[in-house]
Amino acid sequence: MSIAGRATAKRRWGRFLLDLRAHRTARRAWGGAAGMVLVLLLNGCFRAEPPADVVIVNGNEPESLDPQIVTGVSEMRITKALFDGLIRLDPTNAAPMPGLAERWEVSADGKIYTFHLRTNAVWSTGDPITSADVEWSWFRALDPATASDYAGQLFGIRNAENWYNGEVTNRAAVGFRAVDAHTFQVELNVPLAFFLELCAFPTLAVLPRRTIEAHGDRWLHARPLPTSGAFTLEAWRVNDKVRLRRNPRYWDVAHTASEIVDVLPVSSPNTALNLYATGAADIVWDKDLVPAELMDALVGRPDFHNFTYLGTYFYRFNVTEPPLNDARVRRAFALATDKTRLIGKLTRGIGRPASHFVPDGVAHYSSPPGLGYDPEAARAALAAAGFPGGSGFPRLTYTFFAASGGANLHGKIAVELQQMWREVLGVEIELRQIERKVFYASQSKLDYQISTSSWIGDYNDANTFLDLFRGASGNNRTGWKNARYDALVAAANAETDPTRRAGLFRQAETILIAEEVPIVPVYFYLGYNYYDDRKIGGLWPNILDEHPIQFIFKRRSPHPPSASGRPEKRVGRAATRS
Amino acid sequence: MSEGQGTTPLSPGRRAWRRFRQHRIAVASAWFLLCVIGFAVVYPPLARYGPNELSAAQFAPPSAAHWLGTDVHGRDLLVRLCHGARISLLVGVAGAGVCLVMGVVWGAVAGYWGGRVDSVMMRAVDVLYCVPSIILAIVLMAVLEPVFRRWLDAWHCTKTPALARLGVLFLALGAVSWLTMARVVRGQVLSLRSRAFVDASRVLGASPVWILRRHIVPNVLGVVIVYLTLALPGIVLAESFLSFLGIGVQMPLASWGSLLAEGTEQINPIRIYWWLLVYPGGLLVATLLALNFLGDGLRDAWDIRRDS
Repeated sequence: MSIAGRATAKRRWGRFLLDLRAHRTARRAWGGAAGMVLVLLLNGCFRAEPPADVVIVNGNEPESLDPQIVTGVSEMRITKALFDGLIRLDPTNAAPMPGLAERWEVSADGKIYTFHLRTNAVWSTGDPITSADVEWSWFRALDPATASDYAGQLFGIRNAENWYNGEVTNRAAVGFRAVDAHTFQVELNVPLAFFLELCAFPTLAVLPRRTIEAHGDRWLHARPLPTSGAFTLEAWRVNDKVRLRRNPRYWDVAHTASEIVDVLPVSSPNTALNLYATGAADIVWDKDLVPAELMDALVGRPDFHNFTYLGTYFYRFNVTEPPLNDARVRRAFALATDKTRLIGKLTRGIGRPASHFVPDGVAHYSSPPGLGYDPEAARAALAAAGFPGGSGFPRLTYTFFAASGGANLHGKIAVELQQMWREVLGVEIELRQIERKVFYASQSKLDYQISTSSWIGDYNDANTFLDLFRGASGNNRTGWKNARYDALVAAANAETDPTRRAGLFRQAETILIAEEVPIVPVYFYLGYNYYDDRKIGGLWPNILDEHPIQFIFKRRSPHPPSASGRPEKRVGRAATRS
Repeated sequence: MSEGQGTTPLSPGRRAWRRFRQHRIAVASAWFLLCVIGFAVVYPPLARYGPNELSAAQFAPPSAAHWLGTDVHGRDLLVRLCHGARISLLVGVAGAGVCLVMGVVWGAVAGYWGGRVDSVMMRAVDVLYCVPSIILAIVLMAVLEPVFRRWLDAWHCTKTPALARLGVLFLALGAVSWLTMARVVRGQVLSLRSRAFVDASRVLGASPVWILRRHIVPNVLGVVIVYLTLALPGIVLAESFLSFLGIGVQMPLASWGSLLAEGTEQINPIRIYWWLLVYPGGLLVATLLALNFLGDGLRDAWDIRRDS
């Protein structure tokens, strides 16, 4: 454009602006537009909410916060902060300690527990928590209409399983009852070594009866939501955050270390790491949130806390359909899985390949050997099942979930497994990636063929793993039922001698991992949480990865690291606790 | 500018081609696209690695053995990029094809018929315009995929899942991108049908179908070609977006979007495998830019007003 042309254009533009200014409607419109822009900008700058004291990256978006519905570890970490049970777990070593029950007595035969509830325990709305609430909550967990996958946690109680199945209809026959307002009695079928730990489990938490009866399935949306735990639910914004605020009426409020805690649903390990590195999050604690490719670089860092952890990564078979209803085919898949190679590649060699299901480190138990990597035996097993060299083998799908992208660990494992099975067995597996909620729904409905899975121990006992695959277990999700296995697990739980009990469990596990193989263990999780000891306190490494949010706090004045260069970790019982 | 100084006046197509050649960036873009397509077709069969061939050399930086490095599974990035290009461009072209057929037929019929038919058809377009297109595409994919699978299974197809996903992608992305095409074509047809030569044809007793085929469609061709080149990058981008979210092509198949998603997983303050991000991202950006420049050049070339 020539200079003259530019000048003309400039004049025109100037005239246009003058016209605009002269025009009243336009002026008003400009004013309105400018105002709106300002509002938008300011909205971005100042948020109405106060900042949280502690920000925790917690893994996936919670499917629910109903303690009797949730099955995932990440959801349970939140529900435990909201709803207490009779017992809590000690933040230092995950041992049972008094919760709503201030003390308890166990009968000489170990079958009858009498809990004495605190008289000062109230809901966050001020109403007292009584043993009638406990009884109602436990019956709710056992109600098939509640559809709790974890109802089985109560089946150790006399007649609880029969009540669940509708075989007993007399409430009084079920082995728990409110003796008076503050006394609660439980009668077990057989003595359970881990019963107190079970009482700390979310399924056995105490829930607000009146709110649930008034609001039905949407009771979590009721405001105010009465909670029995250390926090109240201030906000739950999907894919944004869950905000917890200190419950001022909690009986142990003196030890609630933070006023506001934000729990972020982030399921990408790299996003989590970036949030942590930029200071937008204080703690990252989820088994799926450790960037596997960076393991070697992260493992030596002082803010990278490693602990022994009861968790197994495995894959499930849907055993109800051919060809996976044939144990030989399932064994072939197991034998063709090179777990060492998988770990070497995906977690840079940091991890423990698993040939058995119950992780090493479980109290009073050691697992039998399972199936290792043996390509010859794998091919032979497949040939014996009628598919020599994989010929004639139908196309199966391997289902896994991913929040976004195709690069999460489940997807990478899937790609490696697909390659191994192709190489060793000559079978072609299709990979199917679906959204997490859909994934769990289709796993429960047995709408899959092979699928990724993991299991984290709920208490420190082999039963938390082996109970999973009893035919009646809500978390079985393989369609596999084996009378001998069920009988062995039941017999083990009735056994009081630890050695004989372990022996029975070992027989059961042998059926599970070496003979019938409805599942194939891949590796044991290594526990990693990352947080800076100089800034964050109130977390202690323990075998259940149990870190009650109540005790977590941000240090006001960061103290310098100790002489060794590694911030000292407080071990042993907390000074902050009663 | 004066054209057609020779003895015979040039046909519109030849005139457009002449003008297009003068648009340097558009020509360069066309060459670039041809190179990308050529390389994507020719290289993978010659390469030492397959696209899904896992190896122990994971995260190898670009070197003589792996020109663009390798990913987490030790797969060669160059081969995967080529396969990604095939998928992404194929989805783009096929989606644009669906968009072409739907858009031209819809727009031409609405514009030519006019009156109530036109109102109803264009209101349908308006309604569809209100629906966010990516969400509509996702819904369409969810609905159509099982149907596709059943069809392919009935045909005893061995590659059902991959094909079903691809076919559904074609359809869904085409189905959400024909709206603008329909509007553009309708506008053109509206102005064309009142022209003298159309009237003459009608007076001579030509059927509407014949008029549409012989007079209207050839005359809107230029606009359609231009619009198609401009719609193509949009579809490629939509496919990459869906794959980035993990609902596009199914693993272990690669598309540019899924490769980019794998690259972004590597952004962290500790160690960045830059090649997983830079190459797929660069290629995607360059291709989209080239497609847009090409569309620009074509639009200028077919623009009749530039003659006068």
